[in-house]
Amino acid sequence: MTFDFAFILSTLPTFLSAVGVTLQVCLIAIATSLVVALINAALLVFRTPYLSRLVALYVELARNTPLLIQLFFVYFALPALGFNISGFWAAIITLTFLGGAYLTEVLRAGVEAVPLAQIESGKSIGLSDWQLLRHVILPQAGILSLPALFANFIFLLKETTVVSAVAVPEILYTTKSYIALYYKTYEMLAVLTLICVLLFLPLSLLLSRLERRLQHGQFGS
Amino acid sequence: MKKLLLQLFAVALLAGCDKKAEEPAKPAAGAASYIDKIKARDKLIVGVFTDKPPFGFVNEAGRYVGFDTDIGRQFAKDLLGDENKVEFVAVEPASRIPFLQSDKVDLILANMTVTPQRKEAVDFTHPNLKVAVQALVPQNSAVKSLDDLATRTTIVTIGTTADIWLTKNHPDWKLLKFEKNSESLQALSAGRGDAYAQDNLVLFSWAKQNPGYRVLEEKLGDEAPIAPAVKKGNIELRDWVNAELAKLGEEKFLLKLYDQYVRKELSDDTKPESVIVEGGKWQG
Repeated sequence: MTFDFAFILSTLPTFLSAVGVTLQVCLIAIATSLVVALINAALLVFRTPYLSRLVALYVELARNTPLLIQLFFVYFALPALGFNISGFWAAIITLTFLGGAYLTEVLRAGVEAVPLAQIESGKSIGLSDWQLLRHVILPQAGILSLPALFANFIFLLKETTVVSAVAVPEILYTTKSYIALYYKTYEMLAVLTLICVLLFLPLSLLLSRLERRLQHGQFGS
Repeated sequence: MKKLLLQLFAVALLAGCDKKAEEPAKPAAGAASYIDKIKARDKLIVGVFTDKPPFGFVNEAGRYVGFDTDIGRQFAKDLLGDENKVEFVAVEPASRIPFLQSDKVDLILANMTVTPQRKEAVDFTHPNLKVAVQALVPQNSAVKSLDDLATRTTIVTIGTTADIWLTKNHPDWKLLKFEKNSESLQALSAGRGDAYAQDNLVLFSWAKQNPGYRVLEEKLGDEAPIAPAVKKGNIELRDWVNAELAKLGEEKFLLKLYDQYVRKELSDDTKPESVIVEGGKWQG
């Protein structure tokens, strides 16, 4: 089997736009997941009646069903109920559904890791709930959550390849289309692997650097 | 103790190397032929469809059956003396050729149309069916002819003849590609696209069972042969299959399978000769 470099070159423009789609999907999904998680974590931390129960239920449901099935449900089953969502937005919604649940747990754990003494001290000087959250809990919980938060970002990034199943033209979809059309299996899988390494590795390194930077302030070492 | 383990490990490693060095040399030497390899294994491994009735599907009893699939059983019977000495591997359109290339299966019997690009990648035997690509649209769709699809969204299954033909001849059409035939049909019924382009036999069969759809008259490209395929260069197995198809042709074996699986799926005026290729005698 010869390795066809000329063929690889001819596919690069398409792969470039596929990388764009992958980044779009995962960046939007990470942002929306974070918003969902912040709201949910607040509901959990304040033990809001009923709503916190609902959040707990959502977290369990989202974390215990496979992403691919959630995706198929949104894409293939929801149209029957009248919601016709495009592949791109079905991908965002599903990744947000899953990512939001994982990030909720991360943030909740971060809040719980803030020493009780800190909260009691805050209360003793007469801070209100919101003041306590803004000035005492969140700054510390945020830093404590960072490693797990970033790990989950990377997890979401890698999961985006699943959305190729609903015809979103991202990197795996592009790879599979080319293999199906020209049977350059080895070439295309090599390109896909290379793209993943070039895409995910720097991001992962960047995040861990950022993590060290931010935690530096926390421990002052 | 450590030393002994190390020695054992080294021996095992060497033994492993030996085997590896031997295997690829086998076909070249010709001593142990591919057919002998299948006989030694006592099992024919065949890639088939599981969601494409009447050619390859799973029946109520959970058994792999269908026009193509049953040909695989007959091959096992004539090669190994027992129709159950066959292992079926479920494949999707796009995974058929990679499965052959990576030695996961001996043979693909999954309704694969012979195309020039595919001929580069695998070796086809003589054909067993003929097919043309057409398009399925909902009954009340405004689409009247293929030209209407130029400005609409057409669904295809990745790696099918329809996918290849449209990408080549109408690169500007908007295509929505899915992995499985069943997912593509699901997408059409969910309104994800305006038409589904696929081998006409599959569409006829589906349209007959699911009212509310029609198949456009016009064909996408010419009628083409469908044939079993082996790994590129596996001349021995290819020739065996050719001889086997010729032999089965004398018994009108494919006509029997046609009556069993295909006839009821198509309209009453369809002639068997317009669908099956008995004895591998038609080359398209």
